[in-house]
Amino acid sequence: MDDLLAEFLAETREMMTALGGELVAWEANPSDRARLDAIFRFVHTVKGNCGFFDFPRLESLSHAAEDALAEVRAGRRSASPRLVTAVLAIVDRIGAMVDAIEAGEELPSKGDEVLVAALEPDSGDNDDIVADCSDGPSARSANPANGAQRSIRLPTGLLDGVMSSVSDLVLARNDLARRMRDAGVDPTVQGPFERLSTILDQVREAVTRMRMQRIEHLFGALPRLVRDLSAELGKQVMIDLEGGDVELDREMIEMIRDPLTHIIRNAIDHGIERPSHRLAAGKREIGTLHIAARQSGNRIIIAISDDGRGIDGARLVDKAVAAGTITRADGDALDHGGRNALIFEPGLSTAEAVTAVSGRGVGMDVVRANIERVGGSIEVTSVAGQGTSILLSLPLTLSIIPSLTVGAGGQLFAMPRSYVEEIVHGGAGHIEFARAGDAMLVTVRGKRVACLSLATQLGLAAPIRPEDSTLVLMRLASGDLFALAVDRIFDHEELVIKPLAPAIMGTGIYAGSTLLDDGNPVLMLDIAGIARKAKLIGDVQKRVRSVEEAAEVHERRGPPALLFVGLDGARKVVRLGAIRRIERIAASCVDLASDPPRAVIGDALFPLAGTEAGELPHEQVSVLRLGDGESEIAYAIDRILDTVELSGDIAPARGNGISEGTTLIEGIPAEVIDTHWLFASFAAPPRSLDAPLCRLPVDDPWARTILAPLIESAGYRIVDDGFEGTADVTIATEAGGTCGDDGAVITLCADPDHAAHLPGALYRYDRAGLVAALAAIRSGKAA
Amino acid sequence: MNDLLVIVEIAGRRAALRTSEVQSVVELEAISAVPRAPHFVLGLAPLRSNTLTVIDAAAAIGLAPHGQPDAGTRAVIVDHAGHRYALVVDAIDDVAEALSEPNRVPGDAGADWERVSEGLIETDRGPALLISLSALVAGPPGVPA
Repeated sequence: MDDLLAEFLAETREMMTALGGELVAWEANPSDRARLDAIFRFVHTVKGNCGFFDFPRLESLSHAAEDALAEVRAGRRSASPRLVTAVLAIVDRIGAMVDAIEAGEELPSKGDEVLVAALEPDSGDNDDIVADCSDGPSARSANPANGAQRSIRLPTGLLDGVMSSVSDLVLARNDLARRMRDAGVDPTVQGPFERLSTILDQVREAVTRMRMQRIEHLFGALPRLVRDLSAELGKQVMIDLEGGDVELDREMIEMIRDPLTHIIRNAIDHGIERPSHRLAAGKREIGTLHIAARQSGNRIIIAISDDGRGIDGARLVDKAVAAGTITRADGDALDHGGRNALIFEPGLSTAEAVTAVSGRGVGMDVVRANIERVGGSIEVTSVAGQGTSILLSLPLTLSIIPSLTVGAGGQLFAMPRSYVEEIVHGGAGHIEFARAGDAMLVTVRGKRVACLSLATQLGLAAPIRPEDSTLVLMRLASGDLFALAVDRIFDHEELVIKPLAPAIMGTGIYAGSTLLDDGNPVLMLDIAGIARKAKLIGDVQKRVRSVEEAAEVHERRGPPALLFVGLDGARKVVRLGAIRRIERIAASCVDLASDPPRAVIGDALFPLAGTEAGELPHEQVSVLRLGDGESEIAYAIDRILDTVELSGDIAPARGNGISEGTTLIEGIPAEVIDTHWLFASFAAPPRSLDAPLCRLPVDDPWARTILAPLIESAGYRIVDDGFEGTADVTIATEAGGTCGDDGAVITLCADPDHAAHLPGALYRYDRAGLVAALAAIRSGKAA
Repeated sequence: MNDLLVIVEIAGRRAALRTSEVQSVVELEAISAVPRAPHFVLGLAPLRSNTLTVIDAAAAIGLAPHGQPDAGTRAVIVDHAGHRYALVVDAIDDVAEALSEPNRVPGDAGADWERVSEGLIETDRGPALLISLSALVAGPPGVPA
């Protein structure tokens, strides 16, 4: 019976929802036969159904409406506005009763008789006959309900179910793809599978869009909230909403509902002043709360701004000092933004009195934690006396997260890419580690930040030395930086993240899990949670911020240099100033056969030094990228030892070569690389933009194919006979003959004897002579 | 009252799970450890594109842990509150018919068993403690997260 009742209620509600638009349309045009029929069907069904159940009041209401409408349908009565109103009232009443039945409450108090009485025809009806209801087909087809885009209502649970099934499909597809790869499946299977795969991606995109909801749904409740709050607090606040058409994942809307409400409470309670204060401050009596949403790339930005009194930074600092969150010295050192950011510290508030609305100011830290949990960030800006603005930045969806997969302690983990600021190798030249008690600090380009080892945080065995690890610099939503040392970085991936069982969520260091393409589960790290566990959030002000500026590297006596082991196994040093970057490249990117040897780094070719002695490692080569300001060369090394000071004397080397001399570093000799010599011998002369021009005869194939590269490598730009301007040098060959009379002319002869007799002529394979002649002309031009 | 029950052995004792709560019994393959998780969580395991949370049933009750299962160990797959778990038990016996409502255990079953059990239930394979899933997957009280 309960099932039947539930079905009845659901059906009734469904019909009422579908009827919503019809009712309004009928009201606008009571002669519309199609609308009338729809409403008649509704009351008729309700009547029939509630006779079956025991709802006498529902039955009598629907019965009365049905009778009246039947009269209209039969043409015995016209649909007067009065009748429309009466029917609408009955439909509303039926809705209220259905709600009450479902909630198991008492039916709404009596008054049905009035509604039924209103249906009775009165004399007026005959006067205001609106139109003949049994009109021709033109009226019937007027305004049909099927517009361009029909929409239907779906329970959100169903949508979530579809989304999760599609996510499962994607995972199953990945699993299948892996098994097919392993098994080496027939290509005839591969084709349809690819198609299936493409369709699945489209479905996933469509479902993701289906789950999008206009942020209006969130905004809708705000005017009422603001009205109630301001009335309660004796303030006058006007709310101004913008960007309600921005779409956001439904789940995300639910997640930010509470934080947003809290921010609004705070703004009205603490931000906006009482009307009298506002007038005294020369502002409008009514405060404005402006809430705007907009989409920016794959993030949604929501700004909540008020024109209230702003945040009193000095007061916040006082409170924070009093609460012991920061020291007075730290507080004084904070800049404006830093002071405002204190509102995110637990237990701080500038509210003079505890109010029922926003409590004791506890909450902004919770707001921040909640926003961070969904991968968002929060920022506050404030101008004293003019207002406060809070900026929320949120990802579009919760379920698919761009991630970085990393290894730590022999296990794979994922982290949201939104936190990642930079990735550096622990052995890189500009990185310095320091220990402060149990804490590890790292200095990256003058900024000293806390360094956590992921393996240690997770309690995994034997973390590797920080110098050998890869540091992922994380920027927390508060703007604080910290470094997370991982064993290695694997990949960038878009991961479908699923929630974890509560027992695992309870650890506070995971945000979810996913299955990788290889079918193995991987845990998504909760970066904010890890930082919180390591006590980096909360008292960040004293731990991170204050040391950031103070981190100027301690004084050195000599120039800093990098101590490393060359491929030949010898200890060498090179001045740090010459090092641009340190890279690891695949051994296959090195071409030892060319002269000089070259290496591909990124998509550029660099001359490679340091390869004279010794084999290349099999897989990867570390190279130093040295720069002299204009050109760069690469220097292959075995490994980096340390950064040191070149404090001792350098015993100069005898010969000219790569070695500038030898110095003692920690008592052991090391060869100092002569960077001047390196650049002199390896770096290609920079191609200047106004390279001297060399005219070549266009009709001599030998000149264009064999001679041209030599001339270009001498620093010339080649032009042909058709060139209108003045060439610096013209090459004449016997085959091509002389052409053009501008500048110097070099004549090349195929016969060496002939060249010896002709002034200004050279044998065409006299490479040294030709290069010398070209160089002479070039330097003559420069002078 | 003729519920079907899956009879399992946990820490040497006979226990029962409602078949309505049991999805299937599978052989576990590789389990990925979850660092810092409570000790009764053995890790995560993939199952047909789902992720299972592998629970050591004995440890979750508060008894001496069963420990990491060997590859291929059979586990009971259960759903609870939207999450899918694999329960590692000593042995999975059979499906049996419940012959009674769960009753209070005569005597003292021990606080740990009391916490996870809905009572003693008679089956055609003998009496067994009926396990309450929600209590089991929550783990023993006071386990540091």
